Amino acid sequence: MAAIHVQQVSKSFRRYDRNRPFTLQEAALRGFRGLAPQDAFWALRDVSLQVTGGEMLGVIGRNGAGKTTLLRLVGGIGLPDRGNIRVDGRLGALIDLGAGYHPELTGRENIYLNAVISGLTRRETRGVLDEIVAFAELEDFIDSPLRTYSSGMQLRLAFAVAVNVRPQVLLVDEVLAVGDLGFQRKCLERIQSLREDGVAILYVTHDLEQAQRSCDRLIWLNKGRVAASGQPAGVVESYRSAIHHSTQQNTPTAAAVDDAGILELNVNRFGSQEVALSNVRLLSLAGQPVTTLPPELGLRVCMDWVAAQPPRGEVIFSVAVHSADGALLSEVFSPPTTLREPSGQVQATLERLDLAPGSYAVVVGAYPADWAYAYDYHWLVYPLAVETAPEGKGPLRPPYHWD
Amino acid sequence: MTTATLIHYRDLLIELVQRDMRLRYKRSLLGVLWSLLNPLLQLAVFSLIFGLVLPLNIPHFPVFLFTGLLAWNWFQTSLVEATGAIVDNRELIRRPGFPTVVLPLVPVTTNLLHLLLALPVLLVFVVASGIPLRLALLALPAVLAVQFLVTLSLAYGAAALHVRFRDTRYLLGIALLLGFYLSPVFYDPAAIPAAYQAVYRLNPMVSLIEAYRALLLHGQLPAPGPLLIWAGIGAAVLLLTVRMFQRMSVHFAEEL
Repeated sequence: MAAIHVQQVSKSFRRYDRNRPFTLQEAALRGFRGLAPQDAFWALRDVSLQVTGGEMLGVIGRNGAGKTTLLRLVGGIGLPDRGNIRVDGRLGALIDLGAGYHPELTGRENIYLNAVISGLTRRETRGVLDEIVAFAELEDFIDSPLRTYSSGMQLRLAFAVAVNVRPQVLLVDEVLAVGDLGFQRKCLERIQSLREDGVAILYVTHDLEQAQRSCDRLIWLNKGRVAASGQPAGVVESYRSAIHHSTQQNTPTAAAVDDAGILELNVNRFGSQEVALSNVRLLSLAGQPVTTLPPELGLRVCMDWVAAQPPRGEVIFSVAVHSADGALLSEVFSPPTTLREPSGQVQATLERLDLAPGSYAVVVGAYPADWAYAYDYHWLVYPLAVETAPEGKGPLRPPYHWD
Repeated sequence: MTTATLIHYRDLLIELVQRDMRLRYKRSLLGVLWSLLNPLLQLAVFSLIFGLVLPLNIPHFPVFLFTGLLAWNWFQTSLVEATGAIVDNRELIRRPGFPTVVLPLVPVTTNLLHLLLALPVLLVFVVASGIPLRLALLALPAVLAVQFLVTLSLAYGAAALHVRFRDTRYLLGIALLLGFYLSPVFYDPAAIPAAYQAVYRLNPMVSLIEAYRALLLHGQLPAPGPLLIWAGIGAAVLLLTVRMFQRMSVHFAEEL
């Protein structure tokens, strides 16, 4: 039975002196001192998990939480410092697709090379060659050098090899974010069908929705430890609320109340306030303040920001429309920007709302680019009503006509 | 290690060697002639210098020299390429489940193929010089095997060391340059004074090149003693360096 067993695994990375010699010459000149690591930091701490055949386990967590380290250790790249990792069955990986492919070699030569690198024998490769070529839809080009392929064709080839080498255990690292949509769907379908065939899958992702949809179970890694594991919905929920909570912890307790008197920290306003949002206005596209809109018109959300000490990293602003009970309907993000001044203004324009009639709220936020916590977040503070929409059912009401 | 693993390692070696051979010869006009060009040019220059400028008066000098050159080039090029076997294959090291232990084998094997491709030319030289081809030539694979073992044992050490100390390549280059003169590539080892012979013979290439010449020039089997000793030493060092390589290999991905 294909499976991954990870038992109480800890992994530390050695940290060396910045001046650690990189050449024998330097090392000899210094009498071979300074070669030993100075200290270590723990990338994984006491992590245990099991994936059995036919199961897909998702791993979520912030950047630097140890997800990739975990995936690599399971892949046999490096050894854990403590604990045990056992992988039963042939290992396949959707990590770094395209590495190991050579532009001067033909598609066929690359298939042989990479299938064997991925663990097949040459005889086995001969057996799956046609399948790979067909899956990649490259029948006509298979004897041309890879450099003549488009990047999409190269990706198809790499993916086709990776999933057709008959893995029994599959490691997936967010590769699905590449390629066109049609190809992504094909990849996902293929991964699902591998799961149905009894492949044990370990899937690292940032996409919570995706993780919740496709995985049987999730584990959430936080600073190298398993913070939660189990049913996807529950884990995603606790992960989300923890992000919310860490935002709350960063929220100062001093009662900084907004000029309008409607904002109150830890009630409807969260965040460290390193970048504070204020004076949030809902405007029509013509620039008039609005509280009620018909669905076919657009909305402009305009706000001021104040940062006494502009953060060093980039900042992302968000504008979201929630239903009155708090369900997210749409959220858009600004490109990451560096704040160079102590204050400024930012606005988002939603060209059309297309919402069904009802009560809504606009939610705004500002975050560091790594989403570690929120600088400022105004929760359900700004009401918005949609009225005079044509008849219909459901949450969306794009303009329509019947002919 | 199971049979299935061994078969996979063999296939991996075949594919990686094929990759290197194909890449070397693709889009090149001369193709396989490249593996001949280098020793032939060296042959021409050395023949000129030691035949005309500083005559060494060695009988059948072209065959004598070509034998030494082919053996030495295999040794030198293998080691130089093996030094980069890990750092130049970063993307393979990071492939889950990839057996890094195969990598240093690749350049040693590839360069053995280059030697074998040049071998017919050497035999033409032998025949053209009027030297009869004797049955002793059948022992050639045995000598090649000993050199393979010796070279490989050093290749593992160089590959692992280079991951940690990136000037290994340059230091090795210097050592090999000196090694070229300390090996009997273009001169007769009998010319080394008796007092230095013991030290001189600490270089495995001395016995190996002598063995090739015994087979090709004199049609005699080489003295088995030194070859057996070097085979033993090569095997012992190989065990040691492979173990060191394996121990260091768990950190390769972090060091790259």
